[in-house]
Amino acid sequence: MSSVAFRSAVKSYNSAPALDNLDLEIESETLTVLCGPPRSGKSVLFRVLVGLEALDSGRIEVDGRNIAGLPPAERPIGYVPQSFALFPHLTVYDNIAYPLKLAGVARAEIAQRVDRAAGILSLGPLLKKTPDQLSGGEKQRTAVARGLLKNARIFVLDDPLVGLDYKLRERLMDELKDLRAELKATFLYATSDSLEALTMAQKLVVLDRGRVVQHGDADEVYHHPRHLRSLELIGFPQANILRGTSDGATVEAGPLRFSLVGGGSAGPIVAGFRPEALKPEAGLGVEGRCRVTIVENLGGEYVIHVEDKGASMVMSFPVAERPAPAFDTETPFSVSPADIVLFDVASGERLACRAEAAR
Amino acid sequence: MTDIVVDRIVKRFGAFTALDDLSIRFADGEVACLLGPSGCGKTTLMRIIAGLETPDSGRILFGGRDVTAKATSRRNVGMVFQYPVMYPTLSVAENIELPLRQDRSIDAAERERRVAEMLDILDMRDLANAFIEDLDAGSRQKVAVGRAVARRSEIVLFDEPTTNVEVNAKLQLIRAFKTVVQRLRQTIVYVTHDQTEAMTLADQIALMREGRISQYGPPHELYNNPSAEFGGWFLGNPGMNFAPAVLGEGVIRSPLLVEPLTAPAGLSGRAKLTIGVRPEWIEMQATASNATVAGVLVDQAIGIAGRYLTKVDVGEAIVKVKTNARPPVAVGERVHLIVPRDRALLFADGQRAPL
Repeated sequence: MSSVAFRSAVKSYNSAPALDNLDLEIESETLTVLCGPPRSGKSVLFRVLVGLEALDSGRIEVDGRNIAGLPPAERPIGYVPQSFALFPHLTVYDNIAYPLKLAGVARAEIAQRVDRAAGILSLGPLLKKTPDQLSGGEKQRTAVARGLLKNARIFVLDDPLVGLDYKLRERLMDELKDLRAELKATFLYATSDSLEALTMAQKLVVLDRGRVVQHGDADEVYHHPRHLRSLELIGFPQANILRGTSDGATVEAGPLRFSLVGGGSAGPIVAGFRPEALKPEAGLGVEGRCRVTIVENLGGEYVIHVEDKGASMVMSFPVAERPAPAFDTETPFSVSPADIVLFDVASGERLACRAEAAR
Repeated sequence: MTDIVVDRIVKRFGAFTALDDLSIRFADGEVACLLGPSGCGKTTLMRIIAGLETPDSGRILFGGRDVTAKATSRRNVGMVFQYPVMYPTLSVAENIELPLRQDRSIDAAERERRVAEMLDILDMRDLANAFIEDLDAGSRQKVAVGRAVARRSEIVLFDEPTTNVEVNAKLQLIRAFKTVVQRLRQTIVYVTHDQTEAMTLADQIALMREGRISQYGPPHELYNNPSAEFGGWFLGNPGMNFAPAVLGEGVIRSPLLVEPLTAPAGLSGRAKLTIGVRPEWIEMQATASNATVAGVLVDQAIGIAGRYLTKVDVGEAIVKVKTNARPPVAVGERVHLIVPRDRALLFADGQRAPL
């Protein structure tokens, strides 16, 4: 067991709530990715969990025990921070081993654990170097190795791979997932990269304004967003989000025009859909014509940026599915109304009403 | 016609060989991307083409003329750098005009016409009189592009121009680049470490590794037909799968192959063999057939454009599989894979071998 729970957690800065009576139970022995826009409470959640800051009120429970009052060193939590503070006078080996030495771990065991972490992060040839001899990426991997060495079952990883080149991240993502499974640990993970978030996540937690707005299996959150943030922050390429207006029966949102069924009201509204729902052809129900502004080739997929009526949209499909429309040409587009999700402008909550092809 | 010929260039920095007897030709009017990991020599090659670095040996030819001994200023190339060099107190239009003033063959009316054309291409007419210091990084880079190409030099070199630019500005810059390329048809060499950028912008990609060209060809050719494991791995999100293979009695066996393959003539029994296949070329189903290999689904995630990215343990290898549909079984259960015969690529000691 290595479960984490926040109960009625409150944290404010200058009376602005950063964590607003937040309740969250992180499932034991899973990798949970936290997503949230700036100031959603994501960083604060990490900081109070590892003990860098105290809650105003509420509890943080690890396996049922409240740890909110414990100093950072006594919390059973490993922390891999985004910034990599290394001791400049110590070698990579000694930097990684430092927390173990402090904890009084036997030398032989330290050597074994450092070697293992160094192997996973490809630091073997660098162990005798000092930080001033390392590249930025190597310093970062050293810091990640040190964070993962703590004898804990819960780890907080705050954008651990940020800035590393893609191929190294691809390998480290696999390694971190394998390591988590092997340690039977609980990982709480944040990343600024939306593809990394999806690749890593077993569970997703979506935060907005200090509250959890959705929490579930990655597949469930991706396909059934209950809040605008779930659609906006999760997925690569980023989802299409169009602000529009409704007269109660018809919605106009950028290049889209469609009917509203199931109890829509008049006023501003947000319509969203995934890039894979938008196709460069007519016939899916909600349609129009657009101009192709960029054709990105990812090898296995195309990402097509289009424009119409001043609004940009993105479509994406497998290269094997069809040829890409040419750069700077006009193309029909359509999206199935079943793929359009509607949200309340003020709260971001998903609305019960649905889109239907314009009558 | 101004092609660029790089002829047996060697460049060393102390004991480190940055470019190792490298030869390549960049065709007239094409966009060639130099792609590779850091340290592969791509920036050094671009700097030698620009004349900013002197090779230890070898020649650089522009349109058949040997320019190896010529200074940068005499090579008549436009350049765009990672950090744009610009005059903050000049306006956007003045920055674009400045290099044109150095060319005496261009009169004032022609200068004005070219600046207007460039502002038009870059979609920056509204910003003609804005000062550089008031622009964001992406717009500054667009001005740098305009300045580099306005002179209509036949060769333009780009050194990772999108590195310090945020994602939306990067897309704007790519759009401006595409427009410029379409209109002006200059010979362009573009250095990048970003495979998507290379696949998106290039007519030809020169994939580099350790001071050499690993493969040179159109993007789809590099992606579909890698000449080495390196190219299969480097391109793709994620890269190609490689599973071990063994040669025996004239056939090749691998956990990814249902039927053994006939070994090509001349294949060494000592070579380390692998079968390479891209994640999206593999099909997945719940039931076994005579075309499937069995494995266990060990991981499942959502990838690009909602496609499922799974890992399947086939015994001697864990392969990644990209499918449009949700996997037919849950993590931990048995699953059956089809690797189409014509999609399985053979590599011997890291190099592609014919099948």
